[in-house]
Amino acid sequence: MADSRDDFIISIRYALLKKSAKQKFSLFFLIIFSISIIALDKLSLPFVTSTRAVLNDFVYQVTFIASTPGKFVSYLSQKKTTHFNIVNRNEILKEEIETLKNNRHNALFLKTENATLKKALNLGSPNNWKEKPTIKARVIFDQESPYLKSLLLNKGRKDNIIKGMTVFSKSYLIGTVIESNYLTSRVLLITDLNSKIPVVIQETSINAILVGKGKKTDLSLEYLPDVYSVEPNKIIYTSGKDGFISPGLPVAKTYFNKKNEIQIKSLADPQQASIVHVTHGGFNR
Amino acid sequence: MNLLSKIKEVLVSNLGVLSLYFLSFCTFEGLKEFPDLVVFSFNLQMIIVYFYVLKFPDQLGLGHIFIAGIINDVVIGTPLGISSLSFLVLAFFTSYIRNATLRPKMTAEWITFIPALFFSNLVYFIVINNFSHLGFYYIELLQNSFFTFLFFPIFYFIFYNFQKNFLRNME
Repeated sequence: MADSRDDFIISIRYALLKKSAKQKFSLFFLIIFSISIIALDKLSLPFVTSTRAVLNDFVYQVTFIASTPGKFVSYLSQKKTTHFNIVNRNEILKEEIETLKNNRHNALFLKTENATLKKALNLGSPNNWKEKPTIKARVIFDQESPYLKSLLLNKGRKDNIIKGMTVFSKSYLIGTVIESNYLTSRVLLITDLNSKIPVVIQETSINAILVGKGKKTDLSLEYLPDVYSVEPNKIIYTSGKDGFISPGLPVAKTYFNKKNEIQIKSLADPQQASIVHVTHGGFNR
Repeated sequence: MNLLSKIKEVLVSNLGVLSLYFLSFCTFEGLKEFPDLVVFSFNLQMIIVYFYVLKFPDQLGLGHIFIAGIINDVVIGTPLGISSLSFLVLAFFTSYIRNATLRPKMTAEWITFIPALFFSNLVYFIVINNFSHLGFYYIELLQNSFFTFLFFPIFYFIFYNFQKNFLRNME
């Protein structure tokens, strides 16, 4: 019994401390070093933050190059799909243009009416969102890990991108900046589990928090009133209650899935985003 | 010996290290075009670390495993050092298995991959839960771990035959 315990301890010690001819570090030293790095990263000391920013910039550039073959496969696949769908798409687009023309006239009328009513009620609030410029950035790569659904942009603090800014693709909100390095920045997508956006549901005054579940077609609403049940085909807009995102931006839509259940899908397609607009909260379409 | 064959020799003799670094840097964006295949996603880095530490420990240095983990953390966006610690725990467990095994068999090594993966992922979860505010997708991770275990023999044979043939050619 004592012998087997000794053997076990010897094996553990051997595995932790023994260095073979070509190994420069022992396993024990590297494990302690890793734990120290985790602790330093958690403490967010100034020199650690700046070192991490430099490391991030370097690794992202190499990752961009390493991901080029994969991007080429994506490009070829998208080209093939576009080519085969072009005739059907043309018909659909023609119908959509007609509908949108009608909607535009209605929207212009409502906008004018809204402005007049606000003026009459003295509700006009200064619209700071539009005054600030937007920054165009290119997506270097998007990371779909089981931990974080995020995008990497090719602009950072050098181009005035700071943590907390909002990111739009094709005029739809796709996420917020969570990490800003000197040359690059990381965007947390609205589809991520950690993303939480204050929203309001179309034709109601119901406020809720839109939370990602990892998929573009499956978002969820939290903090809804107990008596309220979500209806299909409703647009979900930002409420602007967080003070970061301007109110009234469409972000998601309710729909019936294949099992006839009501689900929420993102209006934007973060996976297809290649050029994005980084703003201070609003986006002037 | 001309330059081409020298490059080839360097590439072949450092296959483990190079693939580990490449996988850490790469984001596999092309795979998104095949959404049905994403279900079968697996962690090749874990397989490489386990295989090389078990069978050819001199071919993959622990320092390389550590750096690859750091790069992986930067690319994924998790706090620095978590992947390194996870890979090193896997290497430690593998090293223990190597020392404790008298007659190595592929099937036994495949089975011992389960506790090695378990402890490695356990350390990952504990550190992420305590050192970050990140949530994660348990089902995806479970699938990932399962397929990592399932595909191990395939890569075992590929890497093993590759290393054996290469060593024979070198001799």
